Amino acid sequence: MSKITFRIGGVHPDDNKISRNCAIETLPLPPTVYVSMSQHIGAPAKPVVAAGDKVKVGQVIAEPGGFVSAFIHSPVSGTVKGLVERKDLSGKPVQHVEITVEGDEWAEGIDLSDKLVTEIPADKDVILEKIKAGGVVGLGGATFPTHVKLNPAPGKVADCLIINGAECEPYLTSDYRIMVERPDEIVVGAAIMQKVLGCRCVIGVEENKPEAIEALKASVSRLGYPDIEVLSLKKRYPQGGEKQLIDAVLHRQVRSGCLPIDAGAVVQNVATALAVYEAVQKNKPLITNTLTVTGDCLPVEKQHNYLFRIGTPLSFIIEQAGGVPEGAAKLISGGPMMGKAISNTDATTVKGSSSILYLSEESTKRKPQGNCIRCGKCSDACPMGLEPFLLNRLYKAGDLEGLEKNAAQDCIECGCCLYSCPAYIPLLDNIRQAKAQVMGVIRARAAAAKAAAEAVK
Amino acid sequence: MEKLLVSPSPHIHAKTSTSVIMRDVIIALAPAILVSLLFYGWSELLVLGVSVASCVLIEWAITKWMLHRPSTIGDLSAVVTGLLLAMNLPATTPWWIVFIGALVAIGVAKMTFGGLGQNVFNPAITGRVFLLISFPTYMTDWSMPSGFVKSVDAVSGSTPLSALKEALLSGTSIPDFMQANNYTWQTLLTDIGGSVGEISAIALLVGFAYLLVRKVVKIWIPLSIFATVAVISLIFNSIDPAAYTGVLFNLKTGGLILGACFMATDYVTSPMSRTGGIIYGIGIGFIVMMIRYFGSYPEGVSFAILIMNCVVPLLNNWFHQKKYGRN
Amino acid sequence: MTNTVVLTIVILTLVGLVLALILYWVAKKFKVEEDPRIDEVEKVMPGANCGGCGFAGCRNFADAAVKAPNLDSMFCPVGGNEVMKKVAGILGYEVKEKAPQVAVVRCNGSCANRPRTNVYDGVRSCRVKAALYSGDTGCSYGCVGCGDCVEACKFGALSMDPETGLPVVDESKCTACGACVKACPKGVIELRNKGPRSMRVFVSCVNKDKGGVARKACSAACIGCGKCAKVCPHGAITVENNLAYIDFTKCKLCKKCVAECPTGAIHAVNFPVLPPKPAAPAVKPAAPAVKPAAAAKTAAVPAAKSAAPVQAEAKPAENSDKKEAANE
Repeated sequence: MSKITFRIGGVHPDDNKISRNCAIETLPLPPTVYVSMSQHIGAPAKPVVAAGDKVKVGQVIAEPGGFVSAFIHSPVSGTVKGLVERKDLSGKPVQHVEITVEGDEWAEGIDLSDKLVTEIPADKDVILEKIKAGGVVGLGGATFPTHVKLNPAPGKVADCLIINGAECEPYLTSDYRIMVERPDEIVVGAAIMQKVLGCRCVIGVEENKPEAIEALKASVSRLGYPDIEVLSLKKRYPQGGEKQLIDAVLHRQVRSGCLPIDAGAVVQNVATALAVYEAVQKNKPLITNTLTVTGDCLPVEKQHNYLFRIGTPLSFIIEQAGGVPEGAAKLISGGPMMGKAISNTDATTVKGSSSILYLSEESTKRKPQGNCIRCGKCSDACPMGLEPFLLNRLYKAGDLEGLEKNAAQDCIECGCCLYSCPAYIPLLDNIRQAKAQVMGVIRARAAAAKAAAEAVK
Repeated sequence: MEKLLVSPSPHIHAKTSTSVIMRDVIIALAPAILVSLLFYGWSELLVLGVSVASCVLIEWAITKWMLHRPSTIGDLSAVVTGLLLAMNLPATTPWWIVFIGALVAIGVAKMTFGGLGQNVFNPAITGRVFLLISFPTYMTDWSMPSGFVKSVDAVSGSTPLSALKEALLSGTSIPDFMQANNYTWQTLLTDIGGSVGEISAIALLVGFAYLLVRKVVKIWIPLSIFATVAVISLIFNSIDPAAYTGVLFNLKTGGLILGACFMATDYVTSPMSRTGGIIYGIGIGFIVMMIRYFGSYPEGVSFAILIMNCVVPLLNNWFHQKKYGRN
Repeated sequence: MTNTVVLTIVILTLVGLVLALILYWVAKKFKVEEDPRIDEVEKVMPGANCGGCGFAGCRNFADAAVKAPNLDSMFCPVGGNEVMKKVAGILGYEVKEKAPQVAVVRCNGSCANRPRTNVYDGVRSCRVKAALYSGDTGCSYGCVGCGDCVEACKFGALSMDPETGLPVVDESKCTACGACVKACPKGVIELRNKGPRSMRVFVSCVNKDKGGVARKACSAACIGCGKCAKVCPHGAITVENNLAYIDFTKCKLCKKCVAECPTGAIHAVNFPVLPPKPAAPAVKPAAPAVKPAAAAKTAAVPAAKSAAPVQAEAKPAENSDKKEAANE
């Protein structure tokens, strides 16, 4: 049993990887796709197509809208119907490009063969340019543009690239499937990023996925990368959190308010490694991703791991997978700990979509809230070492100063506190608000300091 | 389900709840309760029954008629308070005294502060101390009623600690006292006269082990209490064995095991951080030994816990969890 | 025995005296000099410490008022003009009168008007709910109904109507401190001039969606058709982003717009019920805020005051009646 894990807090939810043995299937093309312009953190992309334009698969349809932003490509071939404002899965209006699907004609220069390409371009800038042109973003959840992350600010050096294969969220199996089915591509993708950063590389996988560990180890030794190590991690949530993974693998902590690069680490998801491989070696931009259709009220034969075109409406996938099952009380995009509840199935998939999860009322409905019994289970569970009960109390008292002093801004919203609270107190609901307020105060202060500094000049 | 649920994450919850935790505490208390039933028989059952029933009833009545809130007896915390109160009383306690104890425990110590989680003092101990001060004769009558098992011939009439205090006052030295009362360490382990919960150390420790396994409580508080008691009695005992009792005697007698394992670890009235818990335990251990050695009461676990309860908010303020990336 | 008693009394008296002397000395020694006018101003303040003025409490307001060069930028919404006059009197400043205001809930998305599309299962807090998603109805602009405003109100002027799921303002208690306005994450609540005899006309909707979308989500939504703006003789109504807004400084309470609105999104409240149409009052008795006797007495007054023809008032009587009920 592996002992390698992060040092503070954590919980052990049942992993429920029911769909682990469902091989990846390719989802049929939907009649229409809606490609969101806000699929990444940072500025929304600027569309470069207009109604009536014919597009091919992989053709650029939107350009980055700022430094932290990404290209967006057409996932299908067909006719652009226009720019529409549609609601995303939480009902907020977002710009989408609507494309009617006609055939499946790919743009030129994309290598569609299965052949593994191991020769990595020699020039670092060429690689970064290709990653940027491929619109690759972090697929672990934050969807931060990968080319920005792989290009640290001057003076900051990474000494370890960590490929995150922890997949610590219960139910999700899409990362597991690609690790089992496409380990070679992931390893080459990791090697590409390693080359850019010029450091060693560790692929961290939780020990409840022995087949994935085996597959990755085999392909590392077969392909002969001496600097890539596959590490088995203890099963514990939130192992896949960036800060927790760095602590587990490197035994270092990222200082509050700093980035992982300040601790000498860059963390990328396995799915991102795959996307990097495809973008750099195959010229294939990020237009497909893997998604798990799973849940506790869904029989295993109806569960799927789909390779889908980004922009496929959720309702189409739900329909393809046999509709919303009986007894499903909540639909979630992402894992049960950090995923977003879907209030609108007309919403579309984005680059970061990793699952459609159906949960039964029994497992997901919140129970009536009781009194805090000060058991301290929330602070034991918090992987950031915070005291959620205290933050909750300070938030209710409106004490922003106290919240900042007690590090509300450090919260990573992993959900361990609410998960473990025996009194069902909605700790994270409130702490998320508290964090937003404190971040607002900190940002305002920084802006004021900057303005003051400029005034002196 | 026709309309979908929507809520912020997380969407799943650990299989725990306040009532599950309380149920675990009740299970953990069961071995000690069984042993005491065997020893004390029907009168013990009466004390337990009256105590639990009146605690639950009083809480229900207060939520219904005074606070006009939904009833909270479902969380089983009143049952735990009732059990702990009963285990701190002599088996001969009349039912009306038990009822008054429950009234003070639930009505005064718990509900006036706002119910579960809001109280400063441990309800069961508050009830017990109130009775101890108000009805000293009843509360120190340790005569042994007939139990279901007639094996007890070691102690009757008083607890080892109170017998010792009297002996010391009359000038007997400790080794003589041990000899006279036929105390051997073996007998102390299983049958220690005293209140219901004090009689079997092994049963209590088995229950506590269950709590540890279920991760209901952490070991820090009891451990630091035991360690402090051991260290203090070791020091004093080695200075003057004739005047001060030894380590094992102090660990096993009185309500120390019950108090340290089940009352000092009460979530609500103990500190949340590990450092706070250790300091809290040391404080309890120190006060217990000071009362035992120098006080006029033979036993001081209840007082020690109550006194340290006052310090808990301060300890919670001073000691915090170690934070990620902030050292 | 007597000795002991006497001794006890003497000792205790001495101890008391010594302590009193120490206290007296400490109070003298560490006294903080403050402008005595701060105390005076604080005395005339309402003492609610609501923060409606922008300061943490009444004392902070008093402190700031004493230090400020004039009172132009300061106003106590709770005490209103009366308190401000007193404050100005103490400090020797001049003060401008402000029209009394009241909080107005601009959403009529009751359960009947705005069907629920999903069930919210998180903490009961508007802020959390609004940050999470667009809400449990098709309308992503209106009231989310968790009652943050009710909690924010220090005067007990707000309450949730269990039937409509919307907050209701008790005008007699509302001091227009603005706490609810700040608390509402959707910007549904607005402070509006109270109007003569509390009569007001306002658009009870904040939905900026296109007409069809808004209408689909809520039958009482403003669809931005602009009919009200056309009919308004005073230019008080503007339509922006598919949403009409009535400027309360320009509105003359003619109520023409109320009759014109196809969805009934424009509400006229506290207008007296007129007798001409006997059918109207039968539908529903007048809103509780307007006593029938008072209504009859004042019936002629607004008609005479406002430039509107009397006819226009009669028409929407039935309509406005319903609104009053919904709004009160």
